Amino acid sequence: MRKLILAPIMATAVMASAAAPAQDTVKIGLIQPLTGSVAYNGTADANGARLAVKERNAAGGVLGKQVELIIEDGQCSPANSVNAAEKLIQRDRVVALVGAFCSSATSAVMPVARKYKTPFLTGVSSEASLTEKGNPYFFRSAETDALLGKAFSRLIVDNLGLKKVAYIGVNDDWGRGSAKAFEQELSGHGVETAMIEYFNHGATDFYTLLTKLRGSGADGVFVAAETQDGSTLVKQIKQFGIDMDVFGVGSWATSDFIKITGDAAEGIYAAVPYVSNLPGERNERFVKDYSAAYDHAPGKYAAAGYNSLNIMMDAIDRAGGTDASAIVDGLHATDYEAPNGRYRFTRDGQGYGFDAALVQIRDGHTDVVATTRIADPRADGAKDGQ
Amino acid sequence: MDMLLQFVANGLVSGAFYALSALGLTLIFGLMRVVNFAHGELYMLGGVMGWLATTVLGLNFFAGLALTLAVMGACGWLVDRFLIERVRDQGEEPSILLTIGLSIFLTNTALLLVGTAPLTIEGPLPNKPVFLGPVVLTELRVFAVAACAVLILAAHLVIRHTRLGRAMRATFQDPMAARLAGINTARVYASTFALGTMLAASAGMLLGSIYSTHVSAGGLVSLKAFVVVILGGMGSFAGAIVGGLILGVAEALWGGYISTGTVDIIGFIIVILTLIFKPYGLFSTQVERA
Repeated sequence: MRKLILAPIMATAVMASAAAPAQDTVKIGLIQPLTGSVAYNGTADANGARLAVKERNAAGGVLGKQVELIIEDGQCSPANSVNAAEKLIQRDRVVALVGAFCSSATSAVMPVARKYKTPFLTGVSSEASLTEKGNPYFFRSAETDALLGKAFSRLIVDNLGLKKVAYIGVNDDWGRGSAKAFEQELSGHGVETAMIEYFNHGATDFYTLLTKLRGSGADGVFVAAETQDGSTLVKQIKQFGIDMDVFGVGSWATSDFIKITGDAAEGIYAAVPYVSNLPGERNERFVKDYSAAYDHAPGKYAAAGYNSLNIMMDAIDRAGGTDASAIVDGLHATDYEAPNGRYRFTRDGQGYGFDAALVQIRDGHTDVVATTRIADPRADGAKDGQ
Repeated sequence: MDMLLQFVANGLVSGAFYALSALGLTLIFGLMRVVNFAHGELYMLGGVMGWLATTVLGLNFFAGLALTLAVMGACGWLVDRFLIERVRDQGEEPSILLTIGLSIFLTNTALLLVGTAPLTIEGPLPNKPVFLGPVVLTELRVFAVAACAVLILAAHLVIRHTRLGRAMRATFQDPMAARLAGINTARVYASTFALGTMLAASAGMLLGSIYSTHVSAGGLVSLKAFVVVILGGMGSFAGAIVGGLILGVAEALWGGYISTGTVDIIGFIIVILTLIFKPYGLFSTQVERA
């Protein structure tokens, strides 16, 4: 009896949810760490993404509909990011997912995206193996540690003339991967390795590490760290009276990094996939719009959020509908003119073709020393120049 | 040899900071039997307040510290009167749940108000290197260690030699007898929590000027403070100081001679060894109460 009463109610409910995808917006889900130790960078990514959606909607949206961006906090943790993905797919019925930031979190969301056949793009996670898992729904519009190492090692040797380098990285997949990739590439160019050391997220006192660095006889030090850790480390290198060339990867060449690091930031080098004063009209426009919206210039992660959303919206437009396999095809056909170069994807979903820059911080500003292009990883080193 | 001296010096400096960070925790536990899981967040709020006072209000470091202490002391008082008061004498679990809830609330409120950006506090001295033979320190670090010593000594004197301190110790020994003797125990508890909060906040501001601070800093601070307190003995003043120095030096030596990437393992090893061999800590609370 009870079933009979419930049946019509349930039928209505099912109809309502089945009708949901046919509403007049195209929903895209974004998972970023908005709380926790990388919240600062995750927020920047989300800001870039919001800007991309706002611009697209002002220009008419995709498929003739407005785009609705739904942002969830994944906290850089695999468990929370999976929950966020489930919620976005099941409840919000998003047509595509972007995000997860930390490689370990992205890696956990990938099987969820595959299970529900939802296209999934990361603009940040750089752990190399993600695009080697054969997940047809997964794409990455970011450099991997190895690609960045390859692109930069020559620049670093040519511009800095280093003979013996010490490597310091944050103790996670990304930090370890970056230190190893650069160590390997630089060794290939005949640079001696003085030491490789790691520190934990949120560490505040680096004097022990610096004591070892001072005794290592290196003439340069490579650091893989994000804003907070990197700034503290650089400040302490200067306090400790260590006079070495410092070059880092992570979110270094941002106005915030320079602001919180102060004078200690003078003269350091950063290998970055994006910096706000990259040359080019397309970038100038992006910087102007971003600064108008958020009162500060965009950094690496703001650009990553902006680019990944634009790539996804282009792909949906190209698909001509919200069907997953059509969007995947649309992603494969990507040829996106970004503020930092032209993004395309390999068959595995690895992005390439965009620029990266070696910058030096002088007088509180970033000077672009040289730029290099992230090459198609299928091509060999010999074809780097193309 | 020079390396060893530098490692020990580094360890003693960070040990002094650990001691100050842990002192408020051990004080509140020793006198009130409240395990304060929001300790790290009170530390974080001290840093955020210090940043507000020096950067936004433009005060100098010492005026900022005084303001931070006053505001955080008042916060501690209010937290005790309006929250902890409600679960007093109901065993330890309700207060644990309460302080965990408080820590989540404080982190997220700070996140909402201040945002995620790292905050730097302008220190009273330049961060210039000071050379003591082969050992490098900075003026600010030497100052901070001295400030730690002064704050620890001040807290000790308050508890040992003032009327309020005597009332605190009496209340801890026997709340009923203290009340019969005319001590307003509610006020004593609130003062104790305020004092513990002020110690945490002063550590937050002091260390914020040396490193930098951010709203998610609390978790790691709580973790280290618990290690120090378990090693030194819950509620022991001397234990917090010795425990802090031991943890600092052990971490520096491990980082120096083994690897800096695994340095957090030291805290866990210390906790496990303490619980196996001296479960009440190095300075048993039976002998000395704060």
